[in-house]
Amino acid sequence: MGHEQDEFADFYRASRDSCLRAVTAVVGDRERAEEQVAEAFARAWTSWGKVRRHPAPRAWVVRTALNLGVSWWRRRSREVPLAEHDAAAVAGPGDAVDPALIAALRRLPTRQREVLALRIFLDLDTETTAKVIGIAPGTVMAHLSRAVAALRRDLPIANQDTNATGVTR
Amino acid sequence: MNEHDVMYQVRESFSGLRMDTPVEQVWARSRARRRRRLTGMTAATAATAGAAAVITLAAGGPAPAPSGHSPSASPGSASPGSASPDSASPGSASPGSVRLAAFTVTNGPGDSTTLILRKDAPIDPGELRQALAQHGVPALVTVGSFCRTTPLAPVPFGQVVQPTTLADGSDAIVINGQAMPSGAELSIAVFPQTVRMVLIEKGAPLSCFSTPGQPGQPAIHITGTPTQG
Repeated sequence: MGHEQDEFADFYRASRDSCLRAVTAVVGDRERAEEQVAEAFARAWTSWGKVRRHPAPRAWVVRTALNLGVSWWRRRSREVPLAEHDAAAVAGPGDAVDPALIAALRRLPTRQREVLALRIFLDLDTETTAKVIGIAPGTVMAHLSRAVAALRRDLPIANQDTNATGVTR
Repeated sequence: MNEHDVMYQVRESFSGLRMDTPVEQVWARSRARRRRRLTGMTAATAATAGAAAVITLAAGGPAPAPSGHSPSASPGSASPGSASPDSASPGSASPGSVRLAAFTVTNGPGDSTTLILRKDAPIDPGELRQALAQHGVPALVTVGSFCRTTPLAPVPFGQVVQPTTLADGSDAIVINGQAMPSGAELSIAVFPQTVRMVLIEKGAPLSCFSTPGQPGQPAIHITGTPTQG
C-alpha cells in the first residue's frame, strides 16, 4: 500500500497541473475544472490498480473529469464546503489565463476543444487522442485543424505577437 | 502564424494555472467516495425504513405521533423525523398518500451515524436534537439562528462530518461521533433553504447570528426546507 501511495503521489504531482489546464481549456471555468480534476484523481486512486496500467493515465484522468460533466458539478455545488482550506483553494490563481483566449476556446465545438486540450496539454499523439476520445485519427486531425484555424482568426493580438513568441516545436 | 505557433500560444497562456490541492486531499476524497457509496446503500435502507414507519392511510389509518422516531432506537434502526404539515394534518392526505420523514438518523456506516435530511420536508429541531442524542451525537439545533462558540471545538470539521447529496436530492450527513471530543457538540442551524452545521464547545458562551453564518468558518451549508419548532 505504501509503495502504491508513493507511486500515486508521484503521478499526481507530475500530472495535476497539465490535467487541470486541459480540463479548464475544455470547460472554460477554473473552479469547476479543479473540482472535476480532483474528483477524477480521487477516482483514479480508487482504481489505481487499473489506472496505473492504462497506456495514458493522465488522459484517463482528463477523460474522467470531463465525463463528470455539468450535472455532477451542479449537484456538487449544492454542497458548499466553507472550510478554510476550501475557501483558499477557490481563491487560487485561476484568473491568469487571458479571458480572450478562454472566450475563443468556448466558441469552439466541445470536440474541437477536447482534441486541442489533449494534444496541447497532455502531448498526446493523434492515435492516442483518437483512442481516448473514441473517434478516428483522421477526425482528430480534422478537429485540430479547424480548431487552430478558428483560434488563429479569433486571436488577432496573438497574431501580432508572433515574432515575440514565435517558438515552434 | 502556423499550427505550432497557435498551440504554443495556447500552452503558454495556461502555464500559470496550477492545481494547489494536496494529494492528501485527493486521498481523503477517495475515502469519502467509498463512504458515500456505503452511505447510499445505508440511505436506501434507511429511507425505506423511515417511509415505512410513517406511512399512513388517511382512510381510517391512525396518524403517527409528531415525534415519529422510536425512543428505543436500537443499532441499525432508523429514527424518522416529522412529516410535512399538510400530510401531518389528519384527513388532509388523500387515501393511499404517503408521509415521508423529514429526516432519519441511522447507525452506520461502521461506527458512524448517518443523518438524512429530506429535501422540501420541514424539520422539527426538537425531534432532530432528540434523535441525534439517541444515537450518541450531542447537538444544539436552532431555527432561524446560527450559534457558535469562540473558539470552535478543537477538531477538524471534515474529520467528524461528511456531507453528500443522494440521488433523490436528500442530504446525507455521516457523523463520526468517535472523532468528536467529549466537550464538543454539533450546532445545527435550520434556515429557509439552508441548514448550517459547525462543531462547537459544549457549555461555552454562544454567539448567535440571524443569518446562516460567515464565509470562511469551518462549517457546511446544505439545502433543506425547515419549519419553526
